[in-house]
Amino acid sequence: MTWLCWALAGTTAIQLAPNPLYVLVVIGVAWVVVSAHGLGGPFARAFPWLVAMATAFGILRVVLTALTTHGGSDVLFTTPSFTLPEVLGGFTVGGTIETQAVVYAASEGLVIVGIVAVFAAFNAVVSHYELVQTAPRAFHELGLVVVVALAFVPSIITSIHDVGEADRARTGGRIVRRGRLLRRMVPVLESGLERAITLSESLDSRGFAHRGPSARERGAGWCGALALLSLGGAFVALVASEGAVALTFGVVGAIGLCVAVVLVSGASTRVRYRRRRLTAADFACIAVAVAAPVLVGVVSLVGDATLRWPVDPLLWPTVHVLPVVALLALLAPCARQPATVATTAPKIRQATPATVDAA
Amino acid sequence: MSAIEFRQVSFAYPDADLALRDVDFEVAPGEILLVVGSSGSGKSTLLRCANGLVPHSSGGRFAGDVVAFGRSTRSHHPRELADVVGFVGQDPEAQFVVDQVEHDVAFVLENLGVPEQAMRRRVEETLDALGIAHLRDRSPATLSGGERQRAAIAGALAAAPSALVLDEPTSQLDPQGADDVLAAVSRLNADLGTTVVIAEHRLERAAPLADRAVLVNGGRATPPASPRTMLTGYAGAPTVTRLGRLLGWDPAPLTVREARDAAIKHPLLGVAPDESAPGESAPAVRGDLLVRAVNLEVMLGAQRALTNATVDIGQGEVVALLGRNGAGKTTLLRALARLVEPSRGKVDGSGTVAYVPQDPGSLLFAPTVRREVAETLRLLGRRDDAAVEAWLERLGIAHLADRHPRSLAGGERQRIAIAAVAVGGAEVLMLDEPTRGMDAASRNALERAVKEHAAAGGAVVLATHDIELAAQCATRVIVLGDGEVIVEGPARAVLAGSLYAPQVLRVLPPFLTVTDVEIALARTQQP
Repeated sequence: MTWLCWALAGTTAIQLAPNPLYVLVVIGVAWVVVSAHGLGGPFARAFPWLVAMATAFGILRVVLTALTTHGGSDVLFTTPSFTLPEVLGGFTVGGTIETQAVVYAASEGLVIVGIVAVFAAFNAVVSHYELVQTAPRAFHELGLVVVVALAFVPSIITSIHDVGEADRARTGGRIVRRGRLLRRMVPVLESGLERAITLSESLDSRGFAHRGPSARERGAGWCGALALLSLGGAFVALVASEGAVALTFGVVGAIGLCVAVVLVSGASTRVRYRRRRLTAADFACIAVAVAAPVLVGVVSLVGDATLRWPVDPLLWPTVHVLPVVALLALLAPCARQPATVATTAPKIRQATPATVDAA
Repeated sequence: MSAIEFRQVSFAYPDADLALRDVDFEVAPGEILLVVGSSGSGKSTLLRCANGLVPHSSGGRFAGDVVAFGRSTRSHHPRELADVVGFVGQDPEAQFVVDQVEHDVAFVLENLGVPEQAMRRRVEETLDALGIAHLRDRSPATLSGGERQRAAIAGALAAAPSALVLDEPTSQLDPQGADDVLAAVSRLNADLGTTVVIAEHRLERAAPLADRAVLVNGGRATPPASPRTMLTGYAGAPTVTRLGRLLGWDPAPLTVREARDAAIKHPLLGVAPDESAPGESAPAVRGDLLVRAVNLEVMLGAQRALTNATVDIGQGEVVALLGRNGAGKTTLLRALARLVEPSRGKVDGSGTVAYVPQDPGSLLFAPTVRREVAETLRLLGRRDDAAVEAWLERLGIAHLADRHPRSLAGGERQRIAIAAVAVGGAEVLMLDEPTRGMDAASRNALERAVKEHAAAGGAVVLATHDIELAAQCATRVIVLGDGEVIVEGPARAVLAGSLYAPQVLRVLPPFLTVTDVEIALARTQQP
């Protein structure tokens, strides 16, 4: 819960202060937090990859925006251009590449990178199983399935590496490209399938979902299905501009969903092991982290112009001390000891009797 | 009441022949029942019947009934038997649901709705019973093989099941890890009265623990009998039992201690090992150098996996790499096969090198065993059906040639992977844990194939925990520890005196293997 509040505070702060320099401060804070509290598993190792993926996405966005946005005065250079047919929008791709469009798109892209960095940090520091434990009981089994499915990603990456190595080793290092995709895909897919079957058997052997659905749960299922149907109806009504009907269906659907969740949660007999409860230190951490967007919001209300970066006219972005200090409040988790979950083996130098005797 | 009853059980996987035929026996409460049999004989299928994974998870045709503590698996799913039968499969790594040992142990209790206080107590007791309390915060991925296996057993044991079913729990472990796991199982049985059904190939450790044993052959199970009776005529019996059989000791010993007592009672006078026997007793004479690694240092991420390793592999050699899990054996093999780039030092030599990984699953992709083996030749631009058939014969898998590789047991897959790599004709074969899950006949076939390859001017490097395999066919042994070469030398010199020395050496030094003794006996009996 603490980490969730921290992540929400971080993303809210970025939304309130999208100036690239402030966003860079938040990205830096996320990196420090991962260094201090990263659990060391595959999800923590995914942090730089997620940030890199967001950066690639941001660059792609800059390119597309620069190629399709025209009308500014400050032209950087000109590229060949063509105009799409009317049916595809009729806009021009290429032509003048303008400074304002590039800078604006880069600034927006950096905001996306910042938000992804904060959630990548959340992903790296949180125990996903504990996260499932904190969710309402109605979502537990679904959440567990998602966590187990996510855990397959690193094992598939390892499997791809092993299969590639085995393929090379088979021919004494000689690389044969013909049919390589098949040779590599089949073992990866079959190994993944075998692993999935083993895991499902393990879940079954260990009593997962051992009790069939109760009457209450069946009722909740029907209630949930009708609620979703009602929400669908609300959407259709909204498309048809029937505001009152949409509102009615929407309210009924929302209430139905809540009732279904409450019914399922109440029917569950699952007991959670050592469910972590919020401590005073957690509340303090949440309070300090939440103070960051609150302070930035106050600064925004006061009228600090540095929070946003105007690109027309184009000036260098500037910063003020107060928003930076407010954003540094997101470092609050670093004041605490990291979690005790050890995911790396301590280096113990110890010889077995076999090696000692042999030596 | 019996703990588990198999009543006329027959079973066939979908679109396959019968895997079990009329299996009918009972497991008594509180006993340790050992299930033995060759690869693909039906041991795993039999074990999976005990908690209903067969047929509920497997599908297929099922006849008869299995009753575990009064509950029929026909009417109860595995999840409904979780409180009475704990099951741990062959691959513990794939069985963890939660990325933290303590929470994974608690998982079954959460599912069963055990009250929170009782759950805390059970988890603590289970962690203590398996001796893994200090690992509670660790991720299973970071544990050693033995620790991981014990954590997997804890995950099944937390529900305090009356019976524990273990499918080859030591197949991936070094001797120390295997001892730890079996000691924990024995303690559970003695202290808590847990019924244990265990399938094993490494019988020298498991047989002495068992009260009774069942032999599975072609899907049929013999009536349970004492392990001594059952193993006396069994080809995969522990080495000391085979030694006792050869020397006419009655009763045939099951443990090194019993064998040593028998050896004192019946001393072997005037019989000495043949010092000139190549590959078994005498240091090998090396031919031309095929691969040389000098001062190798390999980093895996931030961890130094290999330090200053200098190794020469020559023609005619069979080199065994020994050491605990994580000692650097696989890394050295991969470095010699040029699959991993050393951060320091170099690998050179004129020999072609092929490598068989520990997990044969990463290699197999063809629809039949024959096509899998032939594929290597096709990749190398050759066609040689005779070589394919020769390797299938040599490794004893010719009868499986038209089967799908992935439908076969672990030991059979291992041999297919070896055949698929060896058929390419590489001079140096690197085999990583080649006997994992192999039965006695398969091991014998592998030993023969390894010796033949070396005798034909090639070389074989084996990374193994199997000391008996090293004793049987290695000419040279390299012991690794923490990524360093601790000791290197002729097999006898290195293996002698080690706590984990081959069983025959511990009973009748200086003999290394039963074959040594057999040859020596034959020589003394010659006029």
